[in-house]
Amino acid sequence: MKKERSKKYRVIQAARILIQSIFFILFFYLLLVTHYPGEDYIGHVEIFFHFDPLLAIATLIASRAFFVSFALAALTIVLTFILGRVACGWVCPLGSIHQFFSFIFKKSKLLKPQKNGDNRTAWKYYLLLFILVGTLFSLDLVGIFDPLSLLYRSFAASILPAINHGFSAFIGVLYQINTSSLADSLFQFFENLAVNSIFRQGFFLGVLFIGILLLNLSRERYWCRYLCPLGALLGLISRWNVMKLKIDPQKCIDCWLCTIHCQTQARPYPEEDWKSSECIYCYTCSAICPTSAVSFPIKSTPEEIVRVDLSRRKLIFTSLLGIAAIPFFRLSPSTRRASPKLIRPPGALPEKKFLQKCIKCGECMKVCPTNGLQPALAEAGPEGIWTPILVSKIGYCEYYCSLCSQVCPTGAIQELTIEEKTKIKIGLAWVNKNTCIPYILGTPCIVCEEHCPTSPKAIKLVKTEVKLPDGTIKTPVAPVINTDLCIGCGICETKCPVVDEPAIYITSVGESRSETNQLLLDLIKGGEELF
Amino acid sequence: MKRRDFIKDMAVGSLLMKFHPSLLAQKKISPDLAWIQGDSPVLITREALSSLGGIKRFVSRGDVVVVKPNIGWDRPPKLAACTNPEVVKTLVELCFDAGAKEVKVMDNPCNPARRTYVRSGISAAAKEAGAKVLFPNPHRLKKMALNGEWLKEWEVYTDFVEADKIINVPIAKTHSLSRLTMGMKNWLGALGGNRNQLHQKIDQAMIDLAAFFKPCLTVLDCYRILIRNGPQGGRASDTKLCKTVVAGVDYVAVDAAGTTFFDLRPQELPYLQVAHQKGFGEIDLEKLIIEKRTL
Repeated sequence: MKKERSKKYRVIQAARILIQSIFFILFFYLLLVTHYPGEDYIGHVEIFFHFDPLLAIATLIASRAFFVSFALAALTIVLTFILGRVACGWVCPLGSIHQFFSFIFKKSKLLKPQKNGDNRTAWKYYLLLFILVGTLFSLDLVGIFDPLSLLYRSFAASILPAINHGFSAFIGVLYQINTSSLADSLFQFFENLAVNSIFRQGFFLGVLFIGILLLNLSRERYWCRYLCPLGALLGLISRWNVMKLKIDPQKCIDCWLCTIHCQTQARPYPEEDWKSSECIYCYTCSAICPTSAVSFPIKSTPEEIVRVDLSRRKLIFTSLLGIAAIPFFRLSPSTRRASPKLIRPPGALPEKKFLQKCIKCGECMKVCPTNGLQPALAEAGPEGIWTPILVSKIGYCEYYCSLCSQVCPTGAIQELTIEEKTKIKIGLAWVNKNTCIPYILGTPCIVCEEHCPTSPKAIKLVKTEVKLPDGTIKTPVAPVINTDLCIGCGICETKCPVVDEPAIYITSVGESRSETNQLLLDLIKGGEELF
Repeated sequence: MKRRDFIKDMAVGSLLMKFHPSLLAQKKISPDLAWIQGDSPVLITREALSSLGGIKRFVSRGDVVVVKPNIGWDRPPKLAACTNPEVVKTLVELCFDAGAKEVKVMDNPCNPARRTYVRSGISAAAKEAGAKVLFPNPHRLKKMALNGEWLKEWEVYTDFVEADKIINVPIAKTHSLSRLTMGMKNWLGALGGNRNQLHQKIDQAMIDLAAFFKPCLTVLDCYRILIRNGPQGGRASDTKLCKTVVAGVDYVAVDAAGTTFFDLRPQELPYLQVAHQKGFGEIDLEKLIIEKRTL
């Protein structure tokens, strides 16, 4: 008997790696070009998300509204229905990263693949159930766990910024060793990539992401195998799996290699153990088999799909846990009183609707030209973690920009034209007269007024009497806000020369999206006043 | 040219001027200011330069020239918040006509440079003419001794100091602190650091900066000026079409001329008064030789 690895499957394996790389590069490319493109309107850089059925289903249930772009997810569903979880093995960029690190860890003997399986594969199904139970009650946690959201958020708000800092330091070194023309071109190149490199939770998100990568030290593709709720969903959708594992008993030498190196614990050997809903069709088993015994012939007859054993008791328990968890997410005070620092990007839906739709992917934070959009920590309650808020101390909302609304994959930020955007209030500016330079020192400043983008300006300079410590009186011009004109863009706060705690700041009151978070009771909008 | 050389040349030059004023008189007298009006920003800029004696008077073969427009705001040309792109482009072309080796166009804007460079139209226009349009590079910032009365030292982009020639191309706009922002205020765009703190003594800052930067030529873009809601405007009605450029070597005189478009007198601007007292330039328009023409 000939002892040889299958050439055919090794070619298929190589093709798979190539296609994975292509999709990863595409994902990364779309991430990199998500910045101001030199025009007001950017293309569909967020398209990856629309192929994700988990996001589609979860936001559909949570918001009770269908977002048209998610129709693309039907393609993934059909593909999975017929072919099984090929999307996990061939397309998913997070899967590719996990596989890459698993490979490195295996090669460096840090990860010792094991023959024995375990039933932790069930975790991801319970997690999926937990998420979906939440969406029934409009609690949308999908963005925290969805692999594309997780990857994009981690890259946009942590990995890429860290790389950017690294390159910046490198350019600095180049200047020191006097290769300034190279350094100049490199600087201009990186400036054009416009990577936002300041993120309040950058460190935390980075630690989380690297932690998830390090899980691969314990099991190959740990995330995909045990945790990924999208993988679980696709496993449930897979029905036909036209390529069915077959082990030729004549050739098989019972070496277990296929099962040991199976990326996701689908357990190709023994054949009757093969769990087709866990298989991601990476063809590692058939390519690694020393006797070419493992193959995937096409059998169009539907057979019983072998799934992970899920205990009914645990499923019921998880559902109950999911339901029990919901009220705990509602304890946040933000439901009683609007949070002043909860300043949402222009076009954001009213808060309740927004939370039902936002998948915390970070597209808006990546595209923001001023780096002002930041992941929330506690401002929006526990379910709002990593949703975007404008932190004007870091960056402001650019007047002629609606990019965040264009790249939002779920419509949590409604798409706006520039024209529409300039009319939206996201908050209001307030002057802290206790620290504002003219009010406290009697000297001129006007920086906020100068930067105010509306016409006429929302910040007026008014002559004000100021008493100085020695009792003398000065009358400098000092800023006074016209709340009708102010759109809350926050440039005044960003540029305020009081460096530590800006003397002018934005709060969310007055935001167009809210009916209740308003300063004045304006029942007849634009109507004439009777008294 | 090194700064040291420049200062040396200046010193020698001014000594010569003092003791041999006839040296200048021997040449054909160029006007102090060229004040040209016309429909085309390109043509009025070209005409202004030829009235002043041609670009070769300012730029020599092999020079590295920095053209400094105002690209401060994310606003299109029709809103007159940034220098007219056609004017900038024409100046770049002229520099290359004079044999310049390299022409850089840059500013340190208030809104993100990637946006202001594009929306102002300046990036595209200047690149078309062959200029290098550079984003302000913090690696190129250097703390320099300005030795001003108030600004002793500040971070300056070295591009402006290392260049052989600088041409200042401001636009005329209103400003709530200095009343108007034109040539002298434009130098804030050559600085890094916490520029917003300069507003605490803006007039003094402008004087100190004017004493430091040495433009060989200032071309004030008054094609469309901003008369309200400065320095960034926002509505077409905030602008006024004047279809003029004013150019000259005496940057104080150029700013002084700029005041007239806003129905002001140069003497009404404290910073111009001080600049004049310090001998930086002339603000009495009566005393200047002005070549005023309409195309």
